[in-house]
Amino acid sequence: MFPPVCDGPDNIRSAGQFIGVPAGRYDWIHVLAASERRCEDTIELSFADGSIDAEPLRISDFWAAPAWFGEVKAFESLVMHYPHHIQRGVTALMWAQRVPVTRRTDLTGILLPRNVALHVFAITLQRHGQLT
Amino acid sequence: MTVDVRARTYTIIGPEPEWWYRDLISCLQATFGSVLARAGTDPLSVLGAGWRFLHLPGDVRPEEFYYPCPVGASGEIDLGSALAPHHELHSRWWQPADEDDVWREVRETLAADRLVIAAVDNFHLPFRPAYGDVHAAHLVVVYGLDETRGVVYVSDAMPPAFRGAVPIEEFLRSWGSANPTDVKDAFFSDSRIGRRCLDVRLDATPAPLTPELLGGFLRTNVEAFTTVTVASTGLAGFNAFAAELVERCRAADAGALRELYPFGWGMQAQASLHGELLRNCGRQWGDPALAGAGRAVEAVAHAWTGLRFTGAHGLEDPRAVAADIAHHATVLHGKYECAVDAVGAAAARL
Repeated sequence: MFPPVCDGPDNIRSAGQFIGVPAGRYDWIHVLAASERRCEDTIELSFADGSIDAEPLRISDFWAAPAWFGEVKAFESLVMHYPHHIQRGVTALMWAQRVPVTRRTDLTGILLPRNVALHVFAITLQRHGQLT
Repeated sequence: MTVDVRARTYTIIGPEPEWWYRDLISCLQATFGSVLARAGTDPLSVLGAGWRFLHLPGDVRPEEFYYPCPVGASGEIDLGSALAPHHELHSRWWQPADEDDVWREVRETLAADRLVIAAVDNFHLPFRPAYGDVHAAHLVVVYGLDETRGVVYVSDAMPPAFRGAVPIEEFLRSWGSANPTDVKDAFFSDSRIGRRCLDVRLDATPAPLTPELLGGFLRTNVEAFTTVTVASTGLAGFNAFAAELVERCRAADAGALRELYPFGWGMQAQASLHGELLRNCGRQWGDPALAGAGRAVEAVAHAWTGLRFTGAHGLEDPRAVAADIAHHATVLHGKYECAVDAVGAAAARL
């Protein structure tokens, strides 16, 4: 569920958007994200039978920080681009985090948290029983 | 003929100061941590022992190192005591007494083998990312002065982390900066630096941290959270702070959000350190409930992110973000309640 390559922003600032997904059984929601400081919030998973589960979404800081929540480091820049210079020694980080889908029924959508510190770049759904 | 025989080089004895850093702390905790580490004390065990909520209306200043600190009986501001209420950590602000010799106190402190914590404006420091770009009030550790070579030795644990020589002229511009209002940093500019320095002392070596000792700290912390006082302290203080914050946003008062960011940093940093200490102790002592209480306190720190950054991004239109500010204040309140409950339960068994 990568956004299309085009002009404009390459990420969603999390503000309570609802993302419909192809209905199906999934085990994991993989999220490519960055956060302005450590962020621990809740996403809501909607299912075909009308049930909704809240699950934690935890993303570490993008600014020269460790993977506090045990995520996989997806990308790390060598430098940080500031408005008027390029700063060595400060890296920008993007994290690969995952969220479990514990309910054994068809997932239909994901409601992002109202948390503008969180930037979502891509979401990948892992089907039930599919190996990573 | 007279000869100037004064020494011109002053440095601390031994190795350069240690960097002490965590990703949620500010230069305030980082610089105090360097002083504690040099004293042979684990900074986390001291800076992570206390956990409070205190808001002082009208007191918040646009500085990275702002931390709520009541004025003492004799008018002093002891940030050390505020950061480490269970230890003999103390500090006092000072400024050079003689405008014609602004280095005198720095020389004396270094000659006594003690570190100086200096307030600076990042705009003028070549190693800071904000150099030549953004004005912001910051703290660094000064560990040497070489007036012959014309350099000050500075240590800064905050990324990108720096330790080394800075030309005296550049340091003086930073140390004496007016730190003017800067639209690029509404949270840490517009606060005169005024060559302020902190003198930090650890007056007693901390006793080894045992379950009994930590239990006492935790019970005191929990009591402060659950006792209603005339000041904005504890859970009741947080509720009062949050209610006022939301009301000011609804009234389009951008000042409320300008204050939220620096104020929240101190509360967030403190919660992160306290949580880490409890989690570490729980693991070390085989006490999962204590470790879990630590994680609950860390969740408080993480919930501050949503509140602080909603405020930061909503600065242009406070009224538009009032509902989201209220939402994050409600979430944070819940995290505080859970964490106080968990810490109280863990403390009762220590």
